[in-house]
Amino acid sequence: MSAVEPRVVAENVSKWFGALVAVSDVTFDVGAGVTALLGPNGAGKSTMFRMLCGLARPSKGTVRVLGRDPRADTGVTRMIGLVPQQESVFEPLTARQFVALSARLHGLRDPEAAAGAALEQVGLDPSDRRRLPAYSKGMRQRVKVAQAIVHDPAILVLDEPLTGLDPRQRAELVALFRRLGSEGRCVIVSSHVLDEVERLGSQVLVMSQGRLAAAGDFRELRALMDDRPMRIRVRTDRPRELAGALLERGTAVGVRLDGDEVLELDTRDARALAHALAPVARDRKARLYEVNPLDADLEGVFRYVVER
Amino acid sequence: MSATGAAVAAPTRPAPLTSFLALYRLLLRAQITVPRLLGIAALGAIAVLIGVFARWHDDPAQAATDAVSSFGLGILVPLATLWLGTSAIGDLVEDRLLVYLWLKPVARWQLPAAAVLATVTVVVPLTALPLAASAVAAGASDVAMAALLAAALAALAYAGLFVAAGLWFRRAVWWGLAFVLLWENVVAYAAAGAARFTVIGWASSILGLAPDVEVTLDAGSAGAAFVVLPAIAVAGWLIATWRYRRNDID
Repeated sequence: MSAVEPRVVAENVSKWFGALVAVSDVTFDVGAGVTALLGPNGAGKSTMFRMLCGLARPSKGTVRVLGRDPRADTGVTRMIGLVPQQESVFEPLTARQFVALSARLHGLRDPEAAAGAALEQVGLDPSDRRRLPAYSKGMRQRVKVAQAIVHDPAILVLDEPLTGLDPRQRAELVALFRRLGSEGRCVIVSSHVLDEVERLGSQVLVMSQGRLAAAGDFRELRALMDDRPMRIRVRTDRPRELAGALLERGTAVGVRLDGDEVLELDTRDARALAHALAPVARDRKARLYEVNPLDADLEGVFRYVVER
Repeated sequence: MSATGAAVAAPTRPAPLTSFLALYRLLLRAQITVPRLLGIAALGAIAVLIGVFARWHDDPAQAATDAVSSFGLGILVPLATLWLGTSAIGDLVEDRLLVYLWLKPVARWQLPAAAVLATVTVVVPLTALPLAASAVAAGASDVAMAALLAAALAALAYAGLFVAAGLWFRRAVWWGLAFVLLWENVVAYAAAGAARFTVIGWASSILGLAPDVEVTLDAGSAGAAFVVLPAIAVAGWLIATWRYRRNDID
């Protein structure tokens, strides 16, 4: 998918744990810039990331980072920075000690200075003497990012890095990731939040149920998703009258009655349906007890993309 | 310009001593907690108390030797080493922190080696010194040096085994406890020659260096024990390294 020379390549990669297949026959390559790995929880994103970093051996297929096997070649780990999904950090350490440890183990000449700079980069105070358990979830998340970037890696693998951050912190880190990508680094970010991915970058890999469901430009994927029919569940005392009126107006393209009160409406324009629903109900003297979009969650989006 | 905005040099592989010391300090820091130190120190205090009571025995040197062998080498040293050794890397596995160390350009043998050394650093002063003090308290100063050496080498051997166990088993403490209680304290005494296959057997052999004492559990010569016990530690470290190299890291 990358126009430039690929830096991370996965070829027919599968990973299974006993009978459970976590990743199935995934092939892609990623070059410089920000690439988002999008998928619902349990899609296999973290397992894929662990294989990209060499932390886990593929059951089948090959992974290459800068042309080398990250599992066998400890040297290539110098070029990788990882923000793992887990929240745990070394509790006896301060943020600076934690990041300096990473710098020291990467062989930097001045680990303390590098740690200070990395912490400032993520908006944290390097002189803060509190130990990590005293930090909020968002602060710990930023410390994890700092330890990943402290050695200036060519490849950054970020597993749900925006979790626990407030909107301002998210915006700052998104800007940082975009800058790192624009400077020629290969930044791969996983997320299960669509809007987050939209802000991160234009290249996406979509994983669902361990498989690569889609790959390419996010705008194309977004268009595809905006185009999909949506299903709305309405509970009312006059479902038949309401269904007839909405079909007549063309705001619903399909209806299904479920019992005496529940109506499921298919629409291609959820916004138009939402605008039409209340006036139509008023005209028909119908009471609306509940209006719920079905299939609007990420799982539904992925199902649609996969089915296409 | 670096990603962090700092004028950091391009990363190279760290000098082996630098990375080893960084890992050692990290693990040592994690090992030293107040409950652990108090728990092991309490066991050490019991050893000294036993030594005080041994003073009134008809043969204080023999009584001190028996106490060091049965309580010191059979309980104090293995339990203290079990507690710290299994947690040295085991806690990192449990807390999913190993990822931060694995993904560094550091030779794989270093982490298990640092774990063994960190364990020994804490355990030896907290166990070997009280056992030597126990012998002194019994009025058997001749036994003190042998007790010191036996406990230190036993701690080294157990550290190798328990660090490996911490990487190998999810509930390594329980496996280790079964090993200490059943293998080291039952099987070792069960049949002639069985002591040769136990740490306690070889460590007890070192107590034979003290003059005019009989060692109940004797695996072989004290000279051989000086080779066998470090060899057990090295075997444990190699197994841990192999496991660390091969395991998927969570």
